[in-house]
Amino acid sequence: MKKSLLDILRDPLDKAELDLEVDERDGDEIVEGRLIGTETGEVYPIEDGIPNLLPPDMRDE
Amino acid sequence: MTDRPALADRRETPTVYAPAADSALLAGAAVNQVGTDDVVFEVGVGSGWVANRVAAETGARVAGDDLTLEACAKAASRGVEVVCANLLDPVADAAVDVVLCNPPYLPTPPEAEWDDPMEAALSGGPEGRRVVDPFLDDVGRVLAPGGHALLLVSTLTGLDEVRAHAATNGLIAEIVREEQFPYERLVVFDLALE
Repeated sequence: MKKSLLDILRDPLDKAELDLEVDERDGDEIVEGRLIGTETGEVYPIEDGIPNLLPPDMRDE
Repeated sequence: MTDRPALADRRETPTVYAPAADSALLAGAAVNQVGTDDVVFEVGVGSGWVANRVAAETGARVAGDDLTLEACAKAASRGVEVVCANLLDPVADAAVDVVLCNPPYLPTPPEAEWDDPMEAALSGGPEGRRVVDPFLDDVGRVLAPGGHALLLVSTLTGLDEVRAHAATNGLIAEIVREEQFPYERLVVFDLALE
Protein backbone atom coordinates (compact mmCIF):
# COMPACT_ATOMS: atom_id res chain seq x y z
CA MET A 1 0.00 0.00 0.00
CA LYS A 2 0.97 3.62 -0.41
CA LYS A 3 0.92 5.95 2.56
CA SER A 4 -1.57 8.21 0.78
CA LEU A 5 -4.17 5.44 1.00
CA LEU A 6 -4.49 6.43 4.68
CA ASP A 7 -6.53 9.42 3.44
CA ILE A 8 -9.48 7.09 2.98
CA LEU A 9 -8.72 4.25 5.43
CA ARG A 10 -9.97 4.10 9.01
CA ASP A 11 -10.05 1.58 11.83
CA PRO A 12 -12.92 -0.75 10.84
CA LEU A 13 -13.92 -1.09 14.50
CA ASP A 14 -14.60 2.58 15.31
CA LYS A 15 -13.68 4.63 12.19
CA ALA A 16 -10.86 6.37 14.07
CA GLU A 17 -7.65 7.20 12.20
CA LEU A 18 -4.87 4.66 11.82
CA ASP A 19 -1.19 5.03 12.68
CA LEU A 20 1.32 3.51 10.25
CA GLU A 21 4.46 1.63 11.27
CA VAL A 22 6.75 0.60 8.41
CA ASP A 23 9.18 -2.34 8.51
CA GLU A 24 9.99 -2.52 4.80
CA ARG A 25 9.52 -0.19 1.85
CA ASP A 26 9.99 -0.49 -1.89
CA GLY A 27 10.00 3.08 -3.24
CA ASP A 28 6.70 4.60 -2.06
CA GLU A 29 5.15 1.15 -1.59
CA ILE A 30 4.93 -0.08 2.00
CA VAL A 31 5.62 -3.79 1.79
CA GLU A 32 5.70 -4.87 5.43
CA GLY A 33 4.46 -3.13 8.56
CA ARG A 34 1.25 -2.52 10.40
CA LEU A 35 -1.66 -0.15 10.85
CA ILE A 36 -2.71 0.58 14.41
CA GLY A 37 -6.06 1.97 15.51
CA THR A 38 -5.41 5.27 17.29
CA GLU A 39 -8.30 4.62 19.69
CA THR A 40 -8.66 0.83 19.83
CA GLY A 41 -4.94 0.01 19.69
CA GLU A 42 -5.88 -2.88 17.38
CA VAL A 43 -2.95 -3.96 15.19
CA TYR A 44 -3.65 -4.67 11.50
CA PRO A 45 -0.72 -6.30 9.71
CA ILE A 46 0.60 -5.21 6.30
CA GLU A 47 2.07 -8.22 4.50
CA ASP A 48 3.31 -8.32 0.89
CA GLY A 49 1.97 -4.78 0.49
CA ILE A 50 -1.59 -5.68 1.50
CA PRO A 51 -3.06 -4.35 4.76
CA ASN A 52 -5.36 -6.79 6.51
CA LEU A 53 -8.16 -4.62 7.91
CA LEU A 54 -10.49 -7.46 8.72
CA PRO A 55 -11.65 -7.21 12.31
CA PRO A 56 -9.88 -9.76 14.55
CA ASP A 57 -12.85 -12.18 14.55
CA MET A 58 -12.92 -12.40 10.74
CA ARG A 59 -9.22 -13.01 10.16
CA ASP A 60 -7.82 -16.36 9.06
CA GLU A 61 -5.22 -17.33 11.59
CA MET B 1 -20.35 -30.89 4.43
CA THR B 2 -21.25 -33.33 1.69
CA ASP B 3 -19.05 -35.70 -0.26
CA ARG B 4 -19.18 -33.50 -3.37
CA PRO B 5 -15.81 -32.22 -4.58
CA ALA B 6 -15.19 -28.69 -3.41
CA LEU B 7 -16.30 -26.28 -6.13
CA ALA B 8 -12.95 -24.57 -5.77
CA ASP B 9 -11.18 -27.73 -6.90
CA ARG B 10 -13.04 -27.81 -10.18
CA ARG B 11 -12.28 -24.35 -11.47
CA GLU B 12 -9.31 -23.13 -13.40
CA THR B 13 -8.97 -20.02 -11.26
CA PRO B 14 -10.11 -21.80 -8.20
CA THR B 15 -10.98 -19.30 -5.51
CA VAL B 16 -11.15 -15.81 -7.00
CA TYR B 17 -14.07 -14.57 -9.08
CA ALA B 18 -12.93 -14.12 -12.68
CA PRO B 19 -14.27 -11.23 -14.79
CA ALA B 20 -17.56 -12.01 -16.52
CA ALA B 21 -20.42 -10.20 -18.29
CA ASP B 22 -21.42 -8.46 -15.06
CA SER B 23 -17.87 -7.12 -14.61
CA ALA B 24 -17.94 -5.61 -18.09
CA LEU B 25 -21.34 -4.02 -17.48
CA LEU B 26 -20.18 -2.42 -14.23
CA ALA B 27 -16.88 -1.24 -15.71
CA GLY B 28 -18.71 0.29 -18.67
CA ALA B 29 -21.03 2.26 -16.38
CA ALA B 30 -18.11 3.37 -14.23
CA VAL B 31 -15.90 4.52 -17.09
CA ASN B 32 -18.80 6.68 -18.23
CA GLN B 33 -19.19 8.44 -14.88
CA VAL B 34 -15.80 8.60 -13.21
CA GLY B 35 -13.73 11.76 -13.62
CA THR B 36 -9.93 12.01 -13.54
CA ASP B 37 -9.90 13.68 -10.12
CA ASP B 38 -12.35 11.27 -8.49
CA VAL B 39 -11.47 8.92 -5.67
CA VAL B 40 -13.02 5.54 -6.48
CA PHE B 41 -13.37 2.58 -4.11
CA GLU B 42 -14.52 -0.84 -5.27
CA VAL B 43 -16.07 -3.16 -2.68
CA GLY B 44 -15.06 -6.74 -3.48
CA VAL B 45 -12.44 -6.24 -6.18
CA GLY B 46 -12.08 -9.97 -6.92
CA SER B 47 -9.42 -10.32 -9.61
CA GLY B 48 -9.13 -6.53 -9.91
CA TRP B 49 -10.27 -6.45 -13.52
CA VAL B 50 -12.95 -3.76 -13.07
CA ALA B 51 -10.82 -1.52 -10.84
CA ASN B 52 -7.88 -1.79 -13.19
CA ARG B 53 -9.98 -0.95 -16.24
CA VAL B 54 -11.61 2.05 -14.58
CA ALA B 55 -8.22 3.37 -13.44
CA ALA B 56 -6.69 2.86 -16.89
CA GLU B 57 -9.54 4.48 -18.81
CA THR B 58 -10.31 7.42 -16.50
CA GLY B 59 -7.02 8.23 -14.79
CA ALA B 60 -8.86 8.25 -11.45
CA ARG B 61 -7.39 6.81 -8.28
CA VAL B 62 -9.12 3.46 -7.80
CA ALA B 63 -8.67 1.53 -4.57
CA GLY B 64 -10.65 -1.42 -3.31
CA ASP B 65 -10.99 -4.28 -0.90
CA ASP B 66 -11.84 -7.94 -0.82
CA LEU B 67 -12.60 -10.48 1.89
CA THR B 68 -9.93 -12.93 0.80
CA LEU B 69 -6.19 -12.32 0.77
CA GLU B 70 -5.97 -14.41 -2.38
CA ALA B 71 -8.25 -12.04 -4.32
CA CYS B 72 -6.36 -9.07 -2.86
CA ALA B 73 -3.04 -10.49 -4.06
CA LYS B 74 -4.47 -11.02 -7.53
CA ALA B 75 -5.91 -7.49 -7.70
CA ALA B 76 -2.62 -6.06 -6.39
CA SER B 77 -0.77 -7.86 -9.16
CA ARG B 78 -2.98 -5.92 -11.60
CA GLY B 79 -1.82 -2.69 -9.97
CA VAL B 80 -4.95 -2.07 -7.89
CA GLU B 81 -4.44 -0.47 -4.47
CA VAL B 82 -6.14 -3.05 -2.31
CA VAL B 83 -6.84 -3.85 1.32
CA CYS B 84 -8.28 -7.01 2.82
CA ALA B 85 -11.53 -5.96 4.48
CA ASN B 86 -15.28 -6.45 4.72
CA LEU B 87 -17.57 -4.19 2.65
CA LEU B 88 -17.01 -0.52 3.52
CA ASP B 89 -15.80 -1.18 7.07
CA PRO B 90 -12.30 0.37 6.62
CA VAL B 91 -13.43 3.42 4.60
CA ALA B 92 -13.51 6.93 6.07
CA ASP B 93 -16.69 9.02 6.14
CA ALA B 94 -17.34 11.20 3.07
CA ALA B 95 -14.06 10.09 1.48
CA VAL B 96 -15.15 8.53 -1.82
CA ASP B 97 -16.56 10.12 -4.99
CA VAL B 98 -17.63 6.89 -6.66
CA VAL B 99 -18.16 3.52 -4.95
CA LEU B 100 -18.31 0.44 -7.19
CA CYS B 101 -19.75 -2.91 -6.15
CA ASN B 102 -20.45 -6.15 -8.02
CA PRO B 103 -21.64 -8.15 -5.03
CA PRO B 104 -22.70 -11.78 -4.77
CA TYR B 105 -26.33 -11.22 -5.82
CA LEU B 106 -27.77 -14.62 -6.74
CA PRO B 107 -30.38 -16.11 -4.45
CA THR B 108 -29.21 -19.50 -3.23
CA PRO B 109 -31.13 -21.89 -1.00
CA PRO B 110 -29.04 -22.81 2.07
CA GLU B 111 -28.90 -26.49 1.08
CA ALA B 112 -27.33 -25.55 -2.27
CA GLU B 113 -24.55 -23.43 -0.79
CA TRP B 114 -20.97 -24.58 -1.03
CA ASP B 115 -18.72 -23.64 1.81
CA ASP B 116 -15.81 -22.17 -0.15
CA PRO B 117 -14.53 -18.79 -1.34
CA MET B 118 -16.20 -18.98 -4.77
CA GLU B 119 -19.52 -19.60 -3.07
CA ALA B 120 -18.99 -16.44 -1.07
CA ALA B 121 -18.22 -14.60 -4.30
CA LEU B 122 -21.44 -15.71 -6.01
CA SER B 123 -24.17 -16.45 -3.51
CA GLY B 124 -26.25 -13.67 -2.01
CA GLY B 125 -28.02 -15.96 0.44
CA PRO B 126 -31.66 -17.12 0.26
CA GLU B 127 -32.94 -13.83 -1.19
CA GLY B 128 -29.77 -12.71 -2.97
CA ARG B 129 -29.41 -9.67 -0.73
CA ARG B 130 -27.15 -10.94 2.07
CA VAL B 131 -24.39 -8.60 0.92
CA VAL B 132 -26.45 -6.02 -0.99
CA ASP B 133 -28.46 -4.90 2.05
CA PRO B 134 -25.49 -4.27 4.41
CA PHE B 135 -23.77 -2.47 1.54
CA LEU B 136 -26.79 -0.18 1.11
CA ASP B 137 -26.91 0.42 4.88
CA ASP B 138 -23.36 1.83 4.93
CA VAL B 139 -22.63 3.31 1.52
CA GLY B 140 -24.17 6.75 2.15
CA ARG B 141 -21.69 7.27 4.99
CA VAL B 142 -18.60 7.09 2.78
CA LEU B 143 -19.87 9.23 -0.10
CA ALA B 144 -18.26 12.62 -0.55
CA PRO B 145 -20.66 15.50 -1.30
CA GLY B 146 -22.14 14.85 -4.74
CA GLY B 147 -20.77 11.32 -4.67
CA HIS B 148 -22.55 8.24 -5.88
CA ALA B 149 -22.33 4.47 -5.97
CA LEU B 150 -22.72 2.02 -8.83
CA LEU B 151 -24.17 -1.31 -7.71
CA LEU B 152 -24.67 -4.29 -10.00
CA VAL B 153 -27.59 -6.62 -9.29
CA SER B 154 -29.83 -9.03 -11.18
CA THR B 155 -33.59 -9.16 -11.60
CA LEU B 156 -33.19 -12.37 -9.55
CA THR B 157 -31.98 -10.20 -6.66
CA GLY B 158 -35.27 -8.25 -6.77
CA LEU B 159 -34.97 -4.76 -8.23
CA ASP B 160 -37.93 -3.37 -6.26
CA GLU B 161 -36.51 -4.74 -3.02
CA VAL B 162 -33.10 -3.23 -3.72
CA ARG B 163 -34.70 0.11 -4.56
CA ALA B 164 -36.82 -0.01 -1.38
CA HIS B 165 -33.84 -0.85 0.83
CA ALA B 166 -31.86 1.97 -0.76
CA ALA B 167 -34.73 4.36 -0.03
CA THR B 168 -34.75 3.42 3.67
CA ASN B 169 -31.14 4.64 3.71
CA GLY B 170 -31.98 7.93 1.99
CA LEU B 171 -30.58 6.79 -1.35
CA ILE B 172 -32.21 7.34 -4.73
CA ALA B 173 -31.61 4.41 -7.08
CA GLU B 174 -31.65 4.93 -10.82
CA ILE B 175 -30.87 2.32 -13.45
CA VAL B 176 -27.98 3.45 -15.68
CA ARG B 177 -27.10 0.22 -17.50
CA GLU B 178 -28.86 -3.05 -18.16
CA GLU B 179 -28.31 -6.20 -20.16
CA GLN B 180 -30.68 -9.10 -20.79
CA PHE B 181 -29.54 -12.69 -20.33
CA PRO B 182 -31.55 -15.90 -20.74
CA TYR B 183 -32.79 -16.13 -17.15
CA GLU B 184 -32.16 -12.68 -15.77
CA ARG B 185 -31.51 -9.06 -16.56
CA LEU B 186 -28.39 -7.51 -15.06
CA VAL B 187 -28.76 -3.94 -13.91
CA VAL B 188 -26.37 -1.24 -12.71
CA PHE B 189 -28.02 1.06 -10.17
CA ASP B 190 -26.65 4.54 -9.64
CA LEU B 191 -27.20 5.40 -5.98
CA ALA B 192 -27.03 8.95 -4.66
CA LEU B 193 -28.09 10.53 -1.39
CA GLU B 194 -31.38 12.43 -1.61
